[in-house]
Amino acid sequence: MMAPATLLVPLDGSASATDALSVARGLANLKGATVVLIHVGHDALAPDELLGRMGLSAEDVRGLVIDQCTGSPADAIVREAAARHSAFIVMCAPAQPDDPLNAIESILGDVLLKAPCPVVLVPSMQGRQPWALRRLVLPHDGTPTSAEAIAPTADLASRANAELVVLHVATPDAERPTESGTFVAPRYLDQPQHEWPAWSREFLERVRSLCYPAKIEKIRLVLAHGEASAAILEFTRKNASDLIALAWRGSLEAERAQTMRQVIREANCPVIVFRVQS
Amino acid sequence: MRSGAPVIDRETALAPGRVTGPSARVVNLPLAPSSDPGWLLVEDGFALVREREIESVFAVANGYTGTRASLEEGSRLSQPVTFAAGIYADDPAANLGPALAVLPDWPHLEITVDGDRLSTETGQVLEHRRMLDLRQAVLWREWRQQASSGRITRVRFLRLASLADRHVLLQSVAVTAENYAGRIELVAGLTLPNGRGERGPLIVTRDLATVVGVTPETSVAMATGSVAQPKSEATKSHQVLPTDHVDERWSWEVGLGETVRLDRLVSVYTSRDIADPADSTRSHIAKIQERGVTALAGDHVNAWSRRWDAAGIKIVGDDEAQRALRFAVYHLVSAANPDDEHASIGARSLTGQDYRGHVFWDTEIYTLPFYVLTDPPAARALLMYRYHTLDGARRKAKGHGYQGALYAWESADSGDETTPREVIAPDGSVVSILTGEQEHHISADVAYAVWQYWRTTADNNFMVGAGADILIETARFWASRARMEADGFAHIRAVIGPDEYHETIDDNAYTNVMARWNLNRAADAVAILKREQPTSWKQISVRLALAEDEPVTWQRIAAALVTGFHADTGLFEQFEGYFGLEEVDVIKHRDHATPIDVCLGREQTRQSKAIKQADVVALSALLWDEWPRAIHEANFNYYDLRTAHGSSLSPAHYALVAARLGNVALAQSYMRQAGEIDLANNMGNAAGGVHIAALGGLWQAAVFGVTGLRLREDGIALDPHLLPGWTEMRCSVQWRGCVLRVTLATDPPRIEIEVDGSGELTITIVDGPACLVRSGRRYAVARNGSAWGAWRETVE
Repeated sequence: MMAPATLLVPLDGSASATDALSVARGLANLKGATVVLIHVGHDALAPDELLGRMGLSAEDVRGLVIDQCTGSPADAIVREAAARHSAFIVMCAPAQPDDPLNAIESILGDVLLKAPCPVVLVPSMQGRQPWALRRLVLPHDGTPTSAEAIAPTADLASRANAELVVLHVATPDAERPTESGTFVAPRYLDQPQHEWPAWSREFLERVRSLCYPAKIEKIRLVLAHGEASAAILEFTRKNASDLIALAWRGSLEAERAQTMRQVIREANCPVIVFRVQS
Repeated sequence: MRSGAPVIDRETALAPGRVTGPSARVVNLPLAPSSDPGWLLVEDGFALVREREIESVFAVANGYTGTRASLEEGSRLSQPVTFAAGIYADDPAANLGPALAVLPDWPHLEITVDGDRLSTETGQVLEHRRMLDLRQAVLWREWRQQASSGRITRVRFLRLASLADRHVLLQSVAVTAENYAGRIELVAGLTLPNGRGERGPLIVTRDLATVVGVTPETSVAMATGSVAQPKSEATKSHQVLPTDHVDERWSWEVGLGETVRLDRLVSVYTSRDIADPADSTRSHIAKIQERGVTALAGDHVNAWSRRWDAAGIKIVGDDEAQRALRFAVYHLVSAANPDDEHASIGARSLTGQDYRGHVFWDTEIYTLPFYVLTDPPAARALLMYRYHTLDGARRKAKGHGYQGALYAWESADSGDETTPREVIAPDGSVVSILTGEQEHHISADVAYAVWQYWRTTADNNFMVGAGADILIETARFWASRARMEADGFAHIRAVIGPDEYHETIDDNAYTNVMARWNLNRAADAVAILKREQPTSWKQISVRLALAEDEPVTWQRIAAALVTGFHADTGLFEQFEGYFGLEEVDVIKHRDHATPIDVCLGREQTRQSKAIKQADVVALSALLWDEWPRAIHEANFNYYDLRTAHGSSLSPAHYALVAARLGNVALAQSYMRQAGEIDLANNMGNAAGGVHIAALGGLWQAAVFGVTGLRLREDGIALDPHLLPGWTEMRCSVQWRGCVLRVTLATDPPRIEIEVDGSGELTITIVDGPACLVRSGRRYAVARNGSAWGAWRETVE
């Protein structure tokens, strides 16, 4: 398999779009990749004009590749990511308070649906602050499908020597998953003094086994209660988190991906979305 | 395995003739799988995350040792564990008490093909199938693996823990070079799994025997023997570091399509059996090698055949129930050893590390009836464990300021309490654990089991030698535990009943009724023994320093104990104040992913009427004849709506009582729920071992619920309620030397009974005719409309 050579940062010409840059640099360092800034617009701009419009100095872009392309933004981003074997597409999460996927449906939604690689969404509050991966939060509902996000998440955590927090949210009204091999909070708690330690151990061992080939030094399980997105957001706010890794089953139809929508909208740290096969 | 009855193609399942090489030379394993797919649990493919569930569900055990069904070569998630019953190790790092010791991973076997080690995690798995053969108690595995070199190797395994000689473990493997000629090497060794040697027990290997020093006083010895076909180049190498062990290697140069086979025998003895277990394994391995693998495997299959004859349940018309009940009986038989009265059955039997092998009330209330009615010597051995740990129970009672015997809520080898005081939940909260302090009904549960065993078997030797001590000492405990109060009644305050959502409660109905029962039966036992065993009785009364008036005191306290019964409604109030608690919609929560107490939180649950498991309904299951049917019905209907079934013990008791009440659809639903606890594919609960008490409860739901069987002083009573779709049910039970083979059928509605063994007894149909039956004869009775006709003797 060809090693990912690039991280793609699409820019629309607005200064706020460059807020993803520090996160992209941090992730590129971890993956040994080159950051490619790609400006997608109707017209090709001269280099100085391009940097000026993006509010970037020559120092800001030292070591980066800057390119331009035209056409439908989402299609162009996806096409460039595929052509450049991008490890990730790193872009700003929309600042609008509305549903982010509706607000920029023609871009972010399309990119998520068509991207050949995971997509990292950086909240606008990130600004140009330096970013480093020290704590990575992986919400995991216990299904084998969502477990597909474990290995690539573990890879990141391992490269950064970051703490991997596996967050399992027990949601009161949620139906019990029927997928074979699912492991959720125990239905039967015969004796909590035995069930909880055993369940925690088993949950974590399953996750650990799926981290392969990455070896994770710092990993812990947290059980939270309540609605999934609220619990994820609360945990990451209270526990200085640098990245949230979400497994997404690839549907943006109404009533689907509610957790992802909410987390992208309100997270105070970047969110990486791994598309998994449901 | 999980979705419906498995379909086995005998032509492909471990059949020897399927080798694809052009000049296959076939070598068979010493047994073949059962031909009826209804006896096979099948797991096709390989899903890493489910490994531990499969390891538990497919475990092989014989009550002396138990071995999880881990892949021989291991995987990232394998938890290869072998236990010996009653062998516990202390773990100072844990606060959960001693745990069953992990013994060397005897089935571990590495297969190397021209230098490449076979693994499901490298190369390509072409086929992978595991089968638990319930009838023969054999774990089968078939695996076709293509290495990155393109070499295709076919491997067939069998594994068993002999029921004929519990010290024997057997593994057989056949390896076929399907599309190559080359070198096949097998490597085995008795090492502790997953590097446990670094912090685990000391292992010493000398003169064929590997000895594991579990504690300074306890050791387990294993010795191995092997037979290779064709004869191989075999070497042994003794390694000292990192752990002391012997590696054995067998290697062959094989031709295209050629198969080689290795049979490995392992002998196990522990210092609980014999002073020098190493010496015993050495002599034993020589003896069993002489007998030969095929004969040993045959002995094992024959022993299981006898157990199935005595304990099997046949269901016609419901394959799912049939599979669940066979699975239950398989693990129940695997869990007990009639020859060992110093070990009992832990919550996960010998199939997993969860619960550390600790013994709870589960054993006496949920599993023991199976043994009482199908294998009385095993039941006796389990009760003797309680006798041998009686001093621990006395110490606990004394420590709490009571008299007599208060059994440990969690018991290991000594009988002393091993329940921890707190646990840290995964959300970081510290959960205080009060069961060890407050869940006292276990003493009455043990007494209940003693009485049931005694009255069903008439084993007076047990009673005068041990059972009376348990009954009397537990009665003494209750006599000191209950307090006469100003209202003129006796109360038992600050306890936990089976419903552990509500702690530190007063006058739990289950506890008080069972205590009353314990006190009365102890007084009855004294009267019976005085009358029928006067000589022995004198020895017992001296041994226990029993005052003449003690039984009268027990009866007086029993009569004064409040039970929470409300005559106006026919309901038992589960504990004082329960009826005033808040109603919550328990039904809504039942299918949710999160248990209700986790959703609501501990305090809100405590303030609600939501209950964890059968509590008052458990009384109906245990003491049916104490109250009329209407009382059972009223309480069942009331508590069914409020039971969250947050314990795996609960659904089976509800199934039992629903069946007795004739609510067969609900009974079937609860039986399915009980059967899915280990067999469903989305639970994960089984990863730490099977829920042996739930399996015992499932058997009871069928035998006590569907047949309506009740034990009487003159025999048994039946009140059949076949479940929807069941056209026939057959089961066997034993009563005082008589073996009864009972058939219930719907077309036409009838009961047939074949009596074997020795003696006679009365069989009564509830609200119907009775019949005195004798061994060696058959009887039948038919129902016309709603009325049963007369019993008649039949000829085969």
